[in-house]
Amino acid sequence: MRRVTPDTIAVVDLAVCDRCGLCLPLCPPEAIHLELNVLTVERAACTGCEKCVGPCPVGALAMVPYA
Amino acid sequence: MPDVDVLVVGAGPGGAVAAWHAKQAAPELDVVLLERDRAVGSPVRCAEGVGDAGLREFVNPDGADWASRKITRVIFQAPDDTEVLVAERGVGWILDRTRFDAYLAAQAAAAGAAVLVGAEATGMSRNGNDRWHVRVKERGQDDVYRARVVIGADGVETMVGRWAGLDTRVPSRDMESCAQYVLQGIDFDPDAIYLQFSEAIAPGGYAWIFPKAVGIANVGLGLVALKTDGRNARQYLDAWVARRFPTGARTGYTVGGVIVHTTIKKTYAAGVMVAGDAAHMINPLSGGGITNAMKAGRLAGCTAAAAIREGDTSERRLSAYHKAWMDLLGDDHLKYYRIKQALEHMDDASLNSLARTVNRIPQEKRSIGRIFAHALIKHPQLIPVAARFFV
Repeated sequence: MRRVTPDTIAVVDLAVCDRCGLCLPLCPPEAIHLELNVLTVERAACTGCEKCVGPCPVGALAMVPYA
Repeated sequence: MPDVDVLVVGAGPGGAVAAWHAKQAAPELDVVLLERDRAVGSPVRCAEGVGDAGLREFVNPDGADWASRKITRVIFQAPDDTEVLVAERGVGWILDRTRFDAYLAAQAAAAGAAVLVGAEATGMSRNGNDRWHVRVKERGQDDVYRARVVIGADGVETMVGRWAGLDTRVPSRDMESCAQYVLQGIDFDPDAIYLQFSEAIAPGGYAWIFPKAVGIANVGLGLVALKTDGRNARQYLDAWVARRFPTGARTGYTVGGVIVHTTIKKTYAAGVMVAGDAAHMINPLSGGGITNAMKAGRLAGCTAAAAIREGDTSERRLSAYHKAWMDLLGDDHLKYYRIKQALEHMDDASLNSLARTVNRIPQEKRSIGRIFAHALIKHPQLIPVAARFFV
């Protein structure tokens, strides 16, 4: 998948995240990882599509400027 | 670097049954069951409801300490709280998943499988020698297991499927966001499950009350994020609970995703099978996945055992698992998915009027089929969809 630098990328608020893993299969470039009970968004892989943000049941994912 | 025959990733109901049945079918095999968390069955991310008949294919719930409550009635609630009691026989059970999952893992262990907790698979690769090399992190130590067959029963966030090159992505519209409280001190019929359908309460999904005991229930909802007004599942649930059970004590809370999709197109690769939520083997109409995962786990475990005995764990050999699953339930799920799509056309006013119509049918004659037939009479635009289902 060719990737252009997005304007915004997803970040996770670990204080809110419940580690349920719902967002993983929603991410088209598979940029979200859950390892040793910590959720991370791979900055270099996120395309800024926002598909993970709305479905998060606790609102732990948000878009921030890429910069 | 341990060599094993079957490595099962994930000790939920699907994984535990896979390990149990693989070992039972071929006792000479080394079977290892990995659980990422430090205890099998925890944390609970489930409403814990299960049908009676499916459960009894594997275990006997009568008097079991992992069965919290027997359910004999289903009460559908319209958006305006009109109740429709549907006649059913031997409906089901509300489980204690912490105990249930541990009980199934113990069955696997009793059959001779090794159960490892606090052991997380972090990656895997296929080397030329017919084995998968699976990296496992256990108590801070990294190890590599060499497995002839890997069964991915690693749930909604499956990694095994991705590592094997399978497409396990979910369209956003087919992922329900769920939130649930354990509420204590509330008033409801403890022998019934309640399902409330409403765009305003749980758009694209439904809200539920699943009794754990008299006065105690799992109270939650699932919704499709694309259909919401911007609030997340927890905020929708807070609003519903505030209206229905303002005095209930919230003694537990969980969130998660339920995939209301159809089985992934390919559930196998050379030396790999994926089962349960990981392969989207969930009834897309009800969101129920426990016995689906167990049945898939049984198929995967038995296929693995037979394939290893034959010395053939190729993609072609393991495709028998996919076919068996589609014949057993996968094709039914396609039909349920179409019904779900049809029901999405019904707004709250239609659901309210449908509930009142159905309540005029004598209770003993009410069935899901009849309710659907009435929905068609009221909403002829559903007929093309229904025709596809019945044909």
